[in-house]
Amino acid sequence: MSWQDEIDEINKRRDLAKQQGGEAALAKHHEKGRLSIRERIEGLLDADSFDEVGQGAGVPEYDEAGQLTGFQPANFILGFGKLNARKVIVGGEDFTLKGGSPNPAGLRKSVYTEELALQYKVPLIRLHEGGGGSVGGTGQDKNRRPLGDPVFSASRFLPLAQTLGAVPVAAAALGPVAGLPAARLVASHFSVMTQNAAVLIAGPQVVKRALGHDLTKEQLGGPQVHLKSGAIDNLAETEQDALDQIARFLSYLPDNVWAFPPRQSTEDKVDRCDEDLATIVPRNRRQPFQMRTIIEKVVDREKDASSFFEMSRKFGPSLITGLARMDGHSVGVIGNDCMFYAGAMTASAAQKLRRFVDFCNSFHLPIVSFVDEPGFMIGPDSEMAGTIRHGTSAISAVLQSRVPWACVQVLKAFGVAAQAHFGPEAYILSWPSAASGALPVEGGVAVAFAREIAAAQDPAARQKELEDMLASSQSPFPRAEGLSVHDIIDPRETRPKLIAWLENAQAAYRTQPAQPYLTTMRP
Amino acid sequence: MRIKVNSEIAGQVWKVTAAQGTSMDADEPIIILESMKMEIPIVAPKAGVLIELHVGEEDMVAEGQLIAIIESA
Repeated sequence: MSWQDEIDEINKRRDLAKQQGGEAALAKHHEKGRLSIRERIEGLLDADSFDEVGQGAGVPEYDEAGQLTGFQPANFILGFGKLNARKVIVGGEDFTLKGGSPNPAGLRKSVYTEELALQYKVPLIRLHEGGGGSVGGTGQDKNRRPLGDPVFSASRFLPLAQTLGAVPVAAAALGPVAGLPAARLVASHFSVMTQNAAVLIAGPQVVKRALGHDLTKEQLGGPQVHLKSGAIDNLAETEQDALDQIARFLSYLPDNVWAFPPRQSTEDKVDRCDEDLATIVPRNRRQPFQMRTIIEKVVDREKDASSFFEMSRKFGPSLITGLARMDGHSVGVIGNDCMFYAGAMTASAAQKLRRFVDFCNSFHLPIVSFVDEPGFMIGPDSEMAGTIRHGTSAISAVLQSRVPWACVQVLKAFGVAAQAHFGPEAYILSWPSAASGALPVEGGVAVAFAREIAAAQDPAARQKELEDMLASSQSPFPRAEGLSVHDIIDPRETRPKLIAWLENAQAAYRTQPAQPYLTTMRP
Repeated sequence: MRIKVNSEIAGQVWKVTAAQGTSMDADEPIIILESMKMEIPIVAPKAGVLIELHVGEEDMVAEGQLIAIIESA
């Protein structure tokens, strides 16, 4: 007796699974300039490395004789694969079947994704395009009312939350993403959306009915909304760009929190000293400079491009956050961008900082901070945004940080917010342009010496005189004399100095085994 | 193609550095805003002609406000 009939049946079902929503639905999807979920997975992973899980899951139809007459595959594709030779788990909705709104098998596979990532402890990638549940349910018998999940079943949101503390999670929005898929999208360490994607809690019709707003889904949740809202980190020009950004993001990270980040080989020289660093900060403090250029000149160059990979540029833009390599070691980089409110810490920038510091601590990434901090953002909008609470929360995250930390004080370090750049036992290098104090002299003098200035014969001249006197007290040289910084350096030496520190600090950090990062309540 | 140039920050117009009708290079400043005691240029995102300028010196500018329109080839 052979099992050939059953083997034929398996192969038949595999063929049916690959038909997805059928030829017409796939053609319609392609017409919109979008790839199918199977094409996306193929575009992401190393060639022929996709090892599918649950290909036989679906909604079958049988005739009275018990013969299979139809088979609607699960509309969530899931499996293991290799990305740049490293094991990952990848999953995503099949938009060509019910617009990605889960059928029963699709729902089971989608909620199993995080369970798999937790069990096998490998990075998780989700490629989203689809809606949430529908009023009609996920395909139960229409003549029966839904029974719901048994009381003893665990919530599907628990593994979603747990993955963030266990493995790197990267997600993409590659079309309309609403409801549960939208929640899954943002339950990630890195998220990216394409130009024609939209991320929505509920779509235009629901919004119009409830609130009267007549908006397209792009107006409600397009990139111009969610890059600024902070819900999504980065924009991708094309689907392939989104997949490439995910691959790049993962290249800096370990497979899980029980491992340290991998080191990559680099041809960039440890002792490379960029000449421009000596002149990049203007002496006139009213004039801005480009902190990104400083970062790029200090971190590794890889094939004529910088190793700096910026994340969340549009959200809280006064603070720059991203990943980079130094002598092949992965590091988290933060820096103030004085082009936005002189680099002041807004409520958004504070939330961005707290999330980034927790992320670096979760994956054992040393942090390098390039400091030009004028303080918390001031004014009525800033007060209304609760900046003081978000800012204090960010400072708590920084001071509870456990990873090696280095600061390059480029220019300003003022006020309470300056604390947000100096982690515990930080290695502190000061540039000659550095200025520190309770607050910048221009604002501080006007307040602290208000009476004296008002009483002077020439108030403006007296204010200028006081400002000049106090500005000299903010000089970095006395701080170097008092060892309140490790050293004051020629800015060109920044790269070799940081790499020498990193080697020592990282070796000390790695004498303890890599462990998950647990945080406490914060302000 | 008409490109709207919006300010990403609030501030006060300190200087207008390009007149309506001028041809501009990419990244050339249109105005300079004074914001948080710094001089922040608002630049042409692409090369083109400055066909509309919506602010003048000393005007207060809100975050997201339309500053200019560039007609780009």
